[in-house]
Amino acid sequence: MSQPQRPQATEPQSGIRSPHRFVLDNGIVLLVTPNLTADIIAARLFMRSGSAWEQERNAGLLNLMASLLTKGTARFSSMEIAEQVESVGAGLGTDAATDYLLLSLKTVTADFSALLNLASEILRSPSFPPSEIELERQLTLQSIRAQKEQPLSLAFDALRRSLYGDHPYGLSSLGTEASVASLTQADLQACHAQHFRPDNLIISIAGHIEPDRAQAQVEAAFGDWIAPAQPLPSLALPPVTTQPSIVHQAQQTHQAIIMLGHLAPPVHNPHYAAMKLLNTYLGNGMSSRLFVELREKQGLAYEVSTFFPTRLHSAPFGAYMGTAPENAVRAQQGLCHEVQRLGQVRLNDEELEATRNKLLGQYVLGKQTNSQIAQIYGWYETLNLGIDFDERFQAQVQAVTPEALQATAEEYFQTPHLSLVGPAETLAQLA
Amino acid sequence: MPMIASLNRVDPGFTSSRPTGLKPAEVFRLESGLTLIYQPLAFPVVAVDVWVSAGAAVDPWQQAGMAHFLEHLIFKGTQKTAPGVFDRLVEGCGGATNAATAYDYAHFYITLAAEQLEAVLPTFADLLLNAAIPDSEFEAERQVVLEELRQAQDDPDWVGFQALLEQVYAPDLNHPYRRPILGTEAQLLTQSPEAVRQFHRLHYRPENLTVVVAGGVGRDRTLSLVNTHFGAANPGSIPNPGPNPGPKATSPPFRLPVSPMAPTPTDRSPVANSRPLRQTLQLPNLEQTRLMLAWPGPGNQQPEAGAGLDLLAAILTEGRLSRLVKALREERRWVSDVECDYSSDRLGGLLTLTAWLEPEYLAPVETFIREQILTLQQHLVAPAELRRVQIQLTREFAFSLETPGDFAELYGYANTVTDLATAFDYPIWIEHCTPEDLQRLAQDYLLLDHCCVTVLCPED
Repeated sequence: MSQPQRPQATEPQSGIRSPHRFVLDNGIVLLVTPNLTADIIAARLFMRSGSAWEQERNAGLLNLMASLLTKGTARFSSMEIAEQVESVGAGLGTDAATDYLLLSLKTVTADFSALLNLASEILRSPSFPPSEIELERQLTLQSIRAQKEQPLSLAFDALRRSLYGDHPYGLSSLGTEASVASLTQADLQACHAQHFRPDNLIISIAGHIEPDRAQAQVEAAFGDWIAPAQPLPSLALPPVTTQPSIVHQAQQTHQAIIMLGHLAPPVHNPHYAAMKLLNTYLGNGMSSRLFVELREKQGLAYEVSTFFPTRLHSAPFGAYMGTAPENAVRAQQGLCHEVQRLGQVRLNDEELEATRNKLLGQYVLGKQTNSQIAQIYGWYETLNLGIDFDERFQAQVQAVTPEALQATAEEYFQTPHLSLVGPAETLAQLA
Repeated sequence: MPMIASLNRVDPGFTSSRPTGLKPAEVFRLESGLTLIYQPLAFPVVAVDVWVSAGAAVDPWQQAGMAHFLEHLIFKGTQKTAPGVFDRLVEGCGGATNAATAYDYAHFYITLAAEQLEAVLPTFADLLLNAAIPDSEFEAERQVVLEELRQAQDDPDWVGFQALLEQVYAPDLNHPYRRPILGTEAQLLTQSPEAVRQFHRLHYRPENLTVVVAGGVGRDRTLSLVNTHFGAANPGSIPNPGPNPGPKATSPPFRLPVSPMAPTPTDRSPVANSRPLRQTLQLPNLEQTRLMLAWPGPGNQQPEAGAGLDLLAAILTEGRLSRLVKALREERRWVSDVECDYSSDRLGGLLTLTAWLEPEYLAPVETFIREQILTLQQHLVAPAELRRVQIQLTREFAFSLETPGDFAELYGYANTVTDLATAFDYPIWIEHCTPEDLQRLAQDYLLLDHCCVTVLCPED
């Protein structure tokens, strides 16, 4: 095998530059990452308030907010907004996540400033027309029901509930049928007044634009938005106090879904990088431990994987697989064993090195498109990590030792929460 | 650099302009017959995408799923490379790899930091050219494929789409697109390692392979690497039989629609006498009813007609201003979503229209959709409406070309399934469509009395 070769001077160099950070007078944080490789600009506008602000009774409020934002403003109707976006073939979408609410934009360079102005109108002056609230409420209720068609989302829903109990992270961002049915225009207006303010907004732009030009366009669109006098709301969440449980949901499916979960560190926790490595080692890619042991060697699954999203508060870690009902017992034992094992054995230096390379390599591969770049820097700013977390994270990963990895697994991978979906007779055989 | 002189440089002959600022792609024919396409891009990343013109359409007639099964088995190693070694190699140096199988092709790709190409490419080539398909790995991997099939069977939209394909490509057509790409459990169970090895030898021949390298690597380095590691591909001794037409004894081969924009009634895409026009499936666990309508369309030898059908689909359901989304979801509120999509493969295309709704709206929604199709046949689309969907589709095309992987896929698909020269022509076909073209396409293809309807309902 030949030695890796360094790029030669004649080889193409990356067109993506480093991000610039500005703070506007009204508190908006603007991040601009120039990338002149294509005539495309992507922007991600983050409001630092997500579904973590919700309770059982108003679950789904931020999600309903996100769908209503584009359905009418002080100046434009739903169809007029659609006209401005679709007539130039732009992309404009809104989403409620756990820790933030997001407006995403994608345009060719020439259309960017017009769409930025529209985004400003949408975020600042939504009108929440009653008829659109009713429509979006119905569509949300249908989405809640549609999730029950997917065994994996059924399993995840129950796992999240078991992990978090009454904590807001235990709620689906869609809300429940009861909470969504009860949300009112007044709820939306109050939520908007509380959270939508310039000093709660991060605008991250990546693409074919120079920083000073982006700054001028953002100033023109958002500069006259004045932050209210009262301080920004802050969120104090109760600690999570759940005990591991086993949840069965009987369904007439071809596969049984086995999903286990643990509470895992938030992004500001010192164990965060180690948990990212454990997640990568276990469940990321075709060389991951679960893939090799349960799929390649035993043929127990097609999809076997793990998740550990980056969160401000205690994050969920999960490992899951779909398997033929007759293999469910073996699959569950294998899945639990492999996760527990990491608290008992120490990975050797070679395994750790390969896992590190995989995590950091795929991290770099996840920053190729303008949307990905705008997302990652804006998200770091939103989580109060700062854009240099991009480098700090990579350094943290480099610093994790085999001992630290084992200690993290030992601390977090204790008795798992289990969520199982499948035919009733299969579930009866599972613990 | 050895052997570069023996490479045959071919003019890609792009018939329309590439995106501004893009360096020219270069095409080479290796001595073995393999095609290399090289696209330099200002990225620290390189994508290598290997395309094989052998998808599920050439599965042996009674062994559906073989092309896809082989795609899995490729990763099980060679005489030189033990199972799992390649996965550890590519991921251990920070790269990613995957593969996909469609009716007309399979492709295998890696993405990684450009400086790692030398470390990974030799093994990648070895897997594809010299797959051993070891007996010892065969059974476990068959179980994996069966799990993939079970997972699909728990997805109502997959189940509905397969049922729709079986309806459109009725049994008497002997059409390969009738069979699921994943195969069926019964036919997967009959497949043997030797049969899959034969399939590999038959189809993974240099003249059927296109290697695309896109990203931050230099030209000479790329040529040398690909020539060294893919250049030895042996044409083998099995004659290439061409596409599998199905069981010859019982039926004539499937006939391609041949006309350009406007087919005459006799060579219109497949119309089977035995095709049931309406079927209802009851599924467990279904929360929302689906109404699916489908019309066969031209294969991708007629890209202009395909672009026109994309425009018709966009007029119906792309965005909140589109006719069906506006009327059925935003105004009448009879559906929670409605989607129209045109997809075309070598042996034909399919326009599908799916609505998610409550059962009480089935009849009014279908009536409304049929009226809208009739309107497209009877009235010209207004210039402003056409303009809007033209911009939407050309922008979508531009937005789909950002990363090395995006370019590698564009070239690989074009060279394998359609025509490399027209890789960048989609926006031109879209721009050239007139209201009259769209009306003619609606009249020729969206025949109301040949529409196939599949309804998915919750079990009683």
